[in-house]
Amino acid sequence: MSKDTYALPETRTWRDIPQQVKPRAMSREGRRRVAMGTIRAALGAVALGAVAWGAWEMTAVLRENPSAMAGGVKSDRVRSLVLVTDGVLDKNWLARTLAIPGDATLMGLDLIKLRSRVLGDAQVSSATVGRNFPDTLVVRISERSPVARLLAQSGGDSPRMLLVARDGVAFAGTGFDDAMVASLPWVDGVKLVRHGASIAPIDGMAAVSGLLASAKLEAENLYRTWQVVSLARLASDGEIEVHTRAGMRVVFGANENYLRQIARLDLLIDASSDPTRPLREVNLALGAQVPVSYGTAAPTLGEPAFVPGNTSPARPSVALPAFFSSFHIDTHREL
Amino acid sequence: MSSRSTFIGAVEIGTSKIVALVGEYTGREIAIIGCGECSSRGVKKGSVVNFREAAECTQTALELAERDAKERIDHVYLAQTGGHLEGFYNEATLNVKAADNMIEKDDIRTVCELAKAKDLPLGRMVVHNIRRPFRVDGRLVPTSPENLVGQKLEVGYWTVHGQEQRLADNIHVIRGSNLEVSELVLSSLASGHMVTSMEERQNGVLAIDIGGGTTDYVLYRNGSPHTTGVVAVGGDHFTNDLSIGLRLTEPQAEKLKLRFGRAVVQAREKSEKVWLDGNFSIGDRQFPRHAIEQITHARAWELLEVVKRKLGQAFAPETCPGGVVLTGGAAKLPSLAVCAARIFGTPARLGEAPSWINENLRDPGFHTALGILYYGVGAQGDKSAAASGRGGFLRKMTRLFSST
Repeated sequence: MSKDTYALPETRTWRDIPQQVKPRAMSREGRRRVAMGTIRAALGAVALGAVAWGAWEMTAVLRENPSAMAGGVKSDRVRSLVLVTDGVLDKNWLARTLAIPGDATLMGLDLIKLRSRVLGDAQVSSATVGRNFPDTLVVRISERSPVARLLAQSGGDSPRMLLVARDGVAFAGTGFDDAMVASLPWVDGVKLVRHGASIAPIDGMAAVSGLLASAKLEAENLYRTWQVVSLARLASDGEIEVHTRAGMRVVFGANENYLRQIARLDLLIDASSDPTRPLREVNLALGAQVPVSYGTAAPTLGEPAFVPGNTSPARPSVALPAFFSSFHIDTHREL
Repeated sequence: MSSRSTFIGAVEIGTSKIVALVGEYTGREIAIIGCGECSSRGVKKGSVVNFREAAECTQTALELAERDAKERIDHVYLAQTGGHLEGFYNEATLNVKAADNMIEKDDIRTVCELAKAKDLPLGRMVVHNIRRPFRVDGRLVPTSPENLVGQKLEVGYWTVHGQEQRLADNIHVIRGSNLEVSELVLSSLASGHMVTSMEERQNGVLAIDIGGGTTDYVLYRNGSPHTTGVVAVGGDHFTNDLSIGLRLTEPQAEKLKLRFGRAVVQAREKSEKVWLDGNFSIGDRQFPRHAIEQITHARAWELLEVVKRKLGQAFAPETCPGGVVLTGGAAKLPSLAVCAARIFGTPARLGEAPSWINENLRDPGFHTALGILYYGVGAQGDKSAAASGRGGFLRKMTRLFSST
């Protein structure tokens, strides 16, 4: 027996009763519900239509003329630039860097391009660029702080002074106090490598920064005498050489406790205060054993004074020791 | 409130009152968050006789429930009762097709369709098809017989049908509030499920819901409804009898019924009299307590006798060890359980809602609405189970009302 061979009677159930009722049969609340439902449906349809229309319009604009997108938004010309920074850069630097045309509108600006311009200055470590309607461009930056300086020479150009941040990034250094810059030690024994339009970060600067920071914080009297910090043996021997203005050579172990080494150096300098036998070399990289060599006469500083060619005219001349030479940027190596 | 919550509305359009409940179903549990109650107008013996009045009362109850719940509902489960509802039993037998006599899904579907296929008189519509357990070669199979081996598959359906116009009137009252009727649920099934336990239904139990205008009953056997029925007599008839017998207005008779009515005569002295109001107000009268009790007893006895007679051979004390469970607003008549026990020859008790139901809703007058709400939960659970492809507790609960 199967359904195919027998015609079963069609049984009507309550579900066959149509549930539609005429509005006049509805209660006041029922009519209100219907009205609300209609309004909701209408609003939904309008919203859906608006979304669909917007999507269609946007697709059309993107397909035919993407630049017209900015025109769709009412926008004023850029009237003010706001710089929010944790460093020394100022609004003039920002205006120079961004180089926004006078008739540029706020919505017409390409924020990504502007941000890359700001980040093009290696002094800036991070940046965000935003619009503050109706006419203000807001740039928030975080700057690098210099821990040392170096002289760099590219091709036949005259040497120019660069500042070096803790992360090894070398930058021109705009807006810093001259006295502060003059107090920074020089970096020696590194080879600068061009990386695109900028210079690749210097390896080992984190270790050097640690030493310089410890010295500046705990023994500023010693730090002030440090003129050159050499990284020449950092990678091979784990040693940092410091040359003082008095001609003394101090070797620090990069893997040793800087504070302890500085304390030992301070003690040694205090203990050997005889002007006829000045300290010539101190090696603090060997742990508790500290080889010391003495000289017989006071050393002479290198002559003549060196004036960096491309630095700010306000910046004072820089006196370099005799062994110091400016760096030549190796343009052949790319990292 | 969970984002997955479903709000279920349950409405009972009764002769004496209209109840609306709103439940929040989270997928795992139900919380009754709204209740609305309104004295019924425009409804006689469970049928709508004045559309506007009935619609207004229903709307009031729904508004109260929605306000209480602070949520709006857009569909409801609706209780269905009325003297127009009738039932019949129809069964079908099928010889299993497969050569190895293993029953397949197709066999089950075919036998079910055959058992449900029955022409109804003109103007009648099916409200429920209640399936009784399958039988495979005479062996009772309470669940699906799929993959069992047998030559003959039998199944029977208790079909409840009603008059099209009356059903449509009830639905249109709800539609008048712009709400959709998700399901019509037989009042007896709803209230019966609330006041009987699974074990009682398995062993056999008779649930009688005595409302204002109708008395609904359901006889459970083997865990599922066996027979249902409606008698168009309810609590209002007790009031009417008192009104006629003692020459009172209906409100006065109602007052006497509630205060002194009994299903079994208790008064020993015929001279004992009771005051109508008892507050020394002008017009207060005395009535013999014995007469009141005799009138209510006679009506209660007659009503339960009618139920027993309509059940016929389906009911026998030995096949109904769970006894009789009484519910509904009129079941609060004192000694009604005693009266029922005498008539049916089985233990009888007043049904109680499960203990986790709120105290305010434990009155027998709410059992039907509660049952409908839980039917809605079962239906939601069934939908969820169907969506996830898995069965569950709620699905099993729905099967209790199985109307496949």
